[in-house]
Amino acid sequence: MMSKNSSRRKIVPTKVTDWVAPSFEDFFGNTNILSSTLLVKSSGEANQHQKRKDHSSVPESSKNKVLARIKGKSSSIDHICDHSKQNQSQSQNEPWVDKYKPGTQNELAVHKKKIEEVESWLKAQIFQRQPKQGGSVLVLTGPPGCGKSATIQILAKEHHVQVQEWTNPISLDFRKEDFKDAFNYESSFQMLPSQAQTALFQDFLLRANKYNKLQMLGESTEADDKLILIEDMPNQFYRDRDSLHEILRRFVRTSRCPLVFIISDSLSGDSNQKLLFPKEIQEELCISSISFNPVAPTMMMKVLNRIATAEASMNGEKFAVPDKSSLELICKGCSGDIRSAINSLQFSSLKEYSSENNLWSRKKGKSTLKSNTEVSRTKKKKRADKTLENQEILAIGGKDASIFLFHALGKILYCKRESLSDSEFPRLPSHLSEYERDTLLVQPEDIVEKSHMPGDLFNLYLHQNYVDFFTDIDDLVRASEYLSTADFLCSNWNSRPTLREYSASVATRGVIHSNTARAFAHCQGGMGFRPFHKPQWFLINKKYQENCLAAKSLFSSFCLPPLCLQTQLLPFLAMLTNPMRNQAQIAFIQDVGRLPLKRHFGGLKLETLTDKDLGMPGFENIDEGDLSAMRPLEVFVQLEKNQINETEPDEFPLISSQASGSELPSSQPQPITAQAIMEEDELKIDEYDSD
Amino acid sequence: MSLWVDKYRPCALGRVDYHREQAAQLRNLVQCGDFPHLLVYGPSGAGKKTRIMCLLRELYGGGVEKLRIEHQSITTPSKKKIEISTIASNYHLEVNPSDAGNSDRVVIQELLKTVAQSQQLETSTQRDFKVVLLTEVDKLTKDAQHALRRTMEKYMATCRLILCCNSVSKIIAPIQSRCLAVRVPAPSIEDICHVLSSVCKKEGLTLPQDLARRLAEKSGRNLRKALLMCEACRVQQYPFTSDQDIPETDWEVYLRETANAIVSQQTPQRLLEVRGRLYELLTHCIPPEIIMKGLLSELLNNCDGQLKGEVAQMAAFYEHRLQLGSKAIYHLEAFVAKFMALYKKFMEDGLEDMMF
Amino acid sequence: MQAFLKGPSSISTKAPASKERGTAAAAGASGEGKRLKPIPWVEKYRPKCVDEVAFQEEVVAVLKKSLEGADLPNLLFYGPPGTGKTSTILALARELYGPELFRQRVLELNASDERGIQVIREKVKTFAQLTVSGSRSDGKVCPPFKIVILDEADSMTSAAQAALRRTMEKESKTTRFCLICNYISRIIEPLTSRCSKFRFKPLTDKIQQQRLWAVSEKENVKVSNEAMSCLVQVSEGDLRKAITFLQSATRLTGGKEITEKVVTEIAGVVPKETIDGLLSACQSGSFEKLETVVKNLINEGYAAAQLVNQLHDDIVEREDLTDKQKSIIAEKLAEVDKCLTDGADEYLQLISLCAVVMQQLTQNG
Repeated sequence: MMSKNSSRRKIVPTKVTDWVAPSFEDFFGNTNILSSTLLVKSSGEANQHQKRKDHSSVPESSKNKVLARIKGKSSSIDHICDHSKQNQSQSQNEPWVDKYKPGTQNELAVHKKKIEEVESWLKAQIFQRQPKQGGSVLVLTGPPGCGKSATIQILAKEHHVQVQEWTNPISLDFRKEDFKDAFNYESSFQMLPSQAQTALFQDFLLRANKYNKLQMLGESTEADDKLILIEDMPNQFYRDRDSLHEILRRFVRTSRCPLVFIISDSLSGDSNQKLLFPKEIQEELCISSISFNPVAPTMMMKVLNRIATAEASMNGEKFAVPDKSSLELICKGCSGDIRSAINSLQFSSLKEYSSENNLWSRKKGKSTLKSNTEVSRTKKKKRADKTLENQEILAIGGKDASIFLFHALGKILYCKRESLSDSEFPRLPSHLSEYERDTLLVQPEDIVEKSHMPGDLFNLYLHQNYVDFFTDIDDLVRASEYLSTADFLCSNWNSRPTLREYSASVATRGVIHSNTARAFAHCQGGMGFRPFHKPQWFLINKKYQENCLAAKSLFSSFCLPPLCLQTQLLPFLAMLTNPMRNQAQIAFIQDVGRLPLKRHFGGLKLETLTDKDLGMPGFENIDEGDLSAMRPLEVFVQLEKNQINETEPDEFPLISSQASGSELPSSQPQPITAQAIMEEDELKIDEYDSD
Repeated sequence: MSLWVDKYRPCALGRVDYHREQAAQLRNLVQCGDFPHLLVYGPSGAGKKTRIMCLLRELYGGGVEKLRIEHQSITTPSKKKIEISTIASNYHLEVNPSDAGNSDRVVIQELLKTVAQSQQLETSTQRDFKVVLLTEVDKLTKDAQHALRRTMEKYMATCRLILCCNSVSKIIAPIQSRCLAVRVPAPSIEDICHVLSSVCKKEGLTLPQDLARRLAEKSGRNLRKALLMCEACRVQQYPFTSDQDIPETDWEVYLRETANAIVSQQTPQRLLEVRGRLYELLTHCIPPEIIMKGLLSELLNNCDGQLKGEVAQMAAFYEHRLQLGSKAIYHLEAFVAKFMALYKKFMEDGLEDMMF
Repeated sequence: MQAFLKGPSSISTKAPASKERGTAAAAGASGEGKRLKPIPWVEKYRPKCVDEVAFQEEVVAVLKKSLEGADLPNLLFYGPPGTGKTSTILALARELYGPELFRQRVLELNASDERGIQVIREKVKTFAQLTVSGSRSDGKVCPPFKIVILDEADSMTSAAQAALRRTMEKESKTTRFCLICNYISRIIEPLTSRCSKFRFKPLTDKIQQQRLWAVSEKENVKVSNEAMSCLVQVSEGDLRKAITFLQSATRLTGGKEITEKVVTEIAGVVPKETIDGLLSACQSGSFEKLETVVKNLINEGYAAAQLVNQLHDDIVEREDLTDKQKSIIAEKLAEVDKCLTDGADEYLQLISLCAVVMQQLTQNG
């Protein structure tokens, strides 16, 4: 089967070739494109083990698209090939992602500074090591397809560093007995698959540390330094982070070479990086973290152009270089993921498809494009004229684009409309005519979804900024009522996950509908540019809780319920001249007991929402009602630190009552000693003998 | 130097200044030997705590007044650690379970269990039970209340509970039926005047009757507030004059100014400013319910008769939502906006009427 | 369950579930004391045999038959609290088994115990599967089945209830279940169909008074006639509540005569004058007056929920209101009640309620 093609290959390894028969050989008939049934990796670099890994991490989309072309993408080790790059004809069916892999730093689509950052870390670790220095860990994060692995590979190659990589074993070698053991409750020795995986991982780390790689054919033997690369994280670690931390600790103590983790983050949901490498671990083990940004459109264009021209020059007849606007469209539709862009380019370049031309502009009526920041501002003004122009997505290769919060808010609040043509929809009866509106051009639910924020969080942003867009107080009443209802919907924690989206829907639609000033398509202009701000609520609430806790702990000697304490005692204490025992108490009283009566509002700064802001991943777990479990919120609103923060809420009051105890009659409920903070875990109530 | 409130607190049931009949009944209770669980309720500043302490003194003698603050750490079944502070003497324990937030049920079960299971070492007091004083039981979650009822039954023998709250509406019926309910109403204006006069006499100050009366009325029958105000008056100006300015808490003044702001202009910009002021109040530890109530009373002063009913209903509606929802600002703002719209319409209608 | 293991006297503290007032002696469970511990009167005067149960004729008839040897079905007792449900089944069990066997043959679980699915599956099932003999130690014949009493069954989750059905069926040879609840609608259908339902009627005033007079005589308590009728009125057909109030009143008055005032205080009932004052303020149409009255109400400490109940009774009885007015007020009362249980502020809710009442009262005026 393969032999007919052997003429094309330099080596004649009759045995060692494709081990997998191409299954779709006859699929497309006799088109020329399929002349080569062989897929070989042609890149000039020595094929190293990590190639395999690259393939396995190529997104599924490319695999699906390039279907039958990419045959023999087998996972086996058949690349004895030492093909040079010139053998292009055999590489027709190779994915361009691999074919045009960046070979040097210049070809990387990553910002120079970022590359330098990684490079300097690498140099520091490899070349400037102190003897006896422990291992060091680097975590590279960023959205998929932004060049993390490529950067590492290239830098490693340039500095002659070996890369040893870990792949998750696809199937563990289970013998039947092991299997039975795993599910046998009684057996004390439970060898679960997950444990096997972690054990293997640990083994790998240890060995990689100690031993060198096996020599592959074609590799140079000079490289002495190495680094360990882990991109494919064993799943167990997502569930049981402590085992990962343990392994890391051991590694850091004993290893001699650096360890690099590559973690792809998605825009929504919890950041994997934060899950796996919480702050404490990062500090404890001195883990450096470099975060990659999505590929900038300019760089992407450069790369796409390069590839397009290269391809065109080689296979002119089969490949039509797409024009500039199409390239731009590809760029836009892929959200900074260069791998996806190249795949789209490749797929779209297939002759039989490009001719139909419906790839390029399939209108779906959704507005999902992520635009360049500078461009957006100027475009905003022109947007009023363009209606459907920006609403195309690529039918192929268009990723589920996400929009920045800034834009999401803008879309809701500016709520573009289109005037109704008369015959389309039945109008409202006359007594409801005040609710007449033109068609909305935006779909609020989609917008909220694409912004990747949970519903109630989005509502907060809306709440912070919606008042600016209203001119009439009656409209404002309706809008605020909808917001109140939306909050009410989310009240029951049981049903909150389901109701969140409805809550956002109610709030957004409520705000949009209530705004009679923007009810019709013709009265939409004239708003100009309004700055958006981040919600102050989080900070305010946090401060409220903190102050309440502080009040309680500082003034616990008064034995008052919090309400009395806060609304009566503290304000009056501020007016009285009783010498307080404690500096902290005095400060607190002055801060909280007195209100700035003369000053007009302006004390709380507003923080502007910028284009770059994505969602706030840490916020979903806020438990606002739980006073006793105040977790430090990851608030990115930075107000200037109020001097209240000097009193830590969890410090216990150092009420020295020596001075006070003697003056008071015995009826006064004054504490005698403030007991030290509990040492033991369990509850202990001491029994004292009476005196 | 302690506050007058604490200094002149009565320490025996026989020496309370008002509700004397009730105090006598409580004394009977102690003497009859069959001490039940108690549920003491009434508005703030009426003297519940004072009476409870007096009761304890009757039960155990002076040793109850030697108090310690302790901090306990309790682990919930879900491995969360809760820290709770208690105030204890040799004979009783006072704790506020709602400090623990959503884990108050665990506090009740664990804490009470431990207290109840530790036998009383002290035999000379002739009581074979300890007393646990739980404050703010109306803020307990329903779970916690059911747990409380269970615990009350179980540990009846060694431990009596005294529950203290503002209103029994939120206490579940089984608990109410297991306790003897003692209602401590707020003192009357005369009672307060009387107390103020006697306190001032003990301090060696002269208090004009008019001032006393004004203080009593301003305090809204809240004795603690009245005493605090009196003390603040003294700081402000002594000797007292009848028409002296009574100091108000800052936040009340602030709230009044906010209400004035609302009434003076009803526009979106004004709403934004009001929002800022509400935030300011929140950061100064004023709970949202108090803000709502205060705002309502100030706004009602500025409204006319027929409007008042509507405004009151709106306030009740949004306050209810506030309790159920999670972000108070939505509801506060919605209330303010609604008021603005109502008021604006009312004024416009009024103007129209005047035109004709 | 603990009570079950400790012995009969301590069962009595757990058994009367919802409305018992706990008191000191909790029936000797604490062991030796220096003095004789006073027992709650509710326990002291609990009917000891089926005959003593007041007023529930049908139930008593059926149960008596079973005492004479007939079989006992699975029972479902429902009705308002304080009407004798728990007392009846306990009395029956006592008569059936005698004091020695009682502990072995009866498993009692009420809402205070763990009654989740797990407990149902384990404890109840295990208990139900034990076999029992047919004779007593003193020679008398005793029925060959055990009794499981599930008090306050309506607060069991429906999952736990569902777990119960199968056990009920399977073990029907050796075990009888008796479920006690206040609202039969909260028991799932499969369970109610497996049981014979008995409705316990609220006691009439006459019967209640009879019992109360009997108790007060035995305890040597002086009660005025008005106080007695007031007592019956505030307890609303719940005999347990009435007896407990009586006991508390005795404690507070320290031996003197119990007057009506004491009773109303203990019961937390809002005095009639206050309600009338409120309604007349509503009638006057002046909102300021209303505000002061409501503020005073709150300051007096009365529970808003109690107020709502009493107001409701008052409004419904009034002759000078049209049906429409009454219906609007009733709706608002229901809303306010709900808001109060949700935890809303009392003052605001009362003011809002009174505003509506005022509106309705002054509309036609």
